[in-house]
Amino acid sequence: MFDCNAIITPATSDKSTLTESVLRQINSQIANQLNTGVLVVDAQFNIVILNRFLQIHTDKVLDIIIGKSLFNAFPELPERWLSRKLNSVLQLNTPSFCSWQQRHHLFELPHTRPITTDSEFMAQNCTFLPITTENNKQHICILIEDVTDVCHYQGQLQKTLDELAQLSRIDGLTQIYNRRHWQDSLQQEHAKACRHEKNLSLIMLDLDNFKLLNDNHGHQCGDMVLIEVSALVSSLLRVEDLFGRYGGEEFAIILPETNLLGAKELAQRICESIAAMPLNYNDEQIKVTVSLGVAQLDDVEAHYEELITQADNALYQAKALGRNQVFSAKTS
Amino acid sequence: MNEFHLTEDQQDCLQELINIAMGQASDQLARYLDTFVYLKVPSIESVAAKELIEALNQQQNTMAVVSQGFFGYEGIRGEALLVYQDEDSGRIADLLGYEPDELSQDEQLIDISSILTTTFLNVFARQIDNQMSYNAPKLLPSVQNSLSEHLQQMTFNWDLALKVNINYQVTDYSFNCNMILLIPETAIINIKKVLDRILAEF
Repeated sequence: MFDCNAIITPATSDKSTLTESVLRQINSQIANQLNTGVLVVDAQFNIVILNRFLQIHTDKVLDIIIGKSLFNAFPELPERWLSRKLNSVLQLNTPSFCSWQQRHHLFELPHTRPITTDSEFMAQNCTFLPITTENNKQHICILIEDVTDVCHYQGQLQKTLDELAQLSRIDGLTQIYNRRHWQDSLQQEHAKACRHEKNLSLIMLDLDNFKLLNDNHGHQCGDMVLIEVSALVSSLLRVEDLFGRYGGEEFAIILPETNLLGAKELAQRICESIAAMPLNYNDEQIKVTVSLGVAQLDDVEAHYEELITQADNALYQAKALGRNQVFSAKTS
Repeated sequence: MNEFHLTEDQQDCLQELINIAMGQASDQLARYLDTFVYLKVPSIESVAAKELIEALNQQQNTMAVVSQGFFGYEGIRGEALLVYQDEDSGRIADLLGYEPDELSQDEQLIDISSILTTTFLNVFARQIDNQMSYNAPKLLPSVQNSLSEHLQQMTFNWDLALKVNINYQVTDYSFNCNMILLIPETAIINIKKVLDRILAEF
């Protein structure tokens, strides 16, 4: 019903003023001016047509390459996989596709942005189209589109998204986890610990007399102390520990697979290290101490927030007992 | 009943065309894949965009969805969604005749989807004297959130779509998937014209 022999199909072939030879010239010139690679192979995968785009980008001489097997002419092609794919086109008479997202490229072609992108070869979307000609002869047309730009910008977009995701988890001042991400992490670690019957401990710590420090030395000094304390605590933790800023001058540490004893030891070390930390602001020596409350998960039935409450109560006790010390909640 | 709904005759005619296409497609697939391919009797219905999104969101264990647009003459166009469950895609490379290390899981899903969609639609197009072209198939990123988002952004604005659901099974490879063809409003009117023409010829 429809004429699909020509790239350009005259509106109705009866009324067409184009002769067959003019039509052929138009089609071949379009094929040669396309910024898309056009390669046609026969049913034995020997090359029949190669348009100008491919001749230029492959630096191959037409006379030598025509009639050659596709896999001899382009030894970089994965022969077994591609043969099976090409066979599906011939056998099912359906088009087949190959996207840069799954395979960056099939043909090793140079691209037009070698300086501004980091890929060596042109990223490609390839399409394999079944072509049937006179006497039921089958061919396959391979279209090769240059998508290096798309690939490059997609990579940059992904990088930006990753950075944004990272930013949304981080407290801007101290560069440790923010409250929201820390609490999400606790919820996950709590669920994990309950499921696998593993230990889980929590340390809540609060700077002593922080308001006084701010009043006496100014908020910039307070900020500096928050940054230095965060850095020092971070340096004392294992990779799997999750350290976050809970509130203004309150911090919290999730300790997976750690019992109360281990948590108390760590809390003690943090307490002593901070008290011993040399800090100067405007040539004035600043003395900073922290109080710490420690708790261990002992009731898997309890909500994860119960653990925060226990550690918080212990922190309150440490404060009440005179600050600069560790207090641990009772454990069964 | 409105202009987008099929009459009983049109529905029967479409059902018959699809049945014939399914028969030929399963035969071609069986020969290519060298194993029996079972296609269950399809369901054809009109769905509102909202209902469809809800229905798809409710499907549990959906592991992956591959989308592929199709377009033919006379304004026949739409989108095919191939929906896979977790448990039925372990041996796709094997089924396709590839070595497992020759292609990633994503590529296996995209490849089989494209083969199922284009084989069926090519045969169907022949039944209605048409010829289909296809977009490159795309794996939709993480199904949970994005499927409804994707449907809302589908290239056409539509409230109502003709939905054809065909289930494919390859028992020898414990493979199972659902092909959902969605034909949106304007294309429904076009397909109704084609159906009327075929009905008039009998």
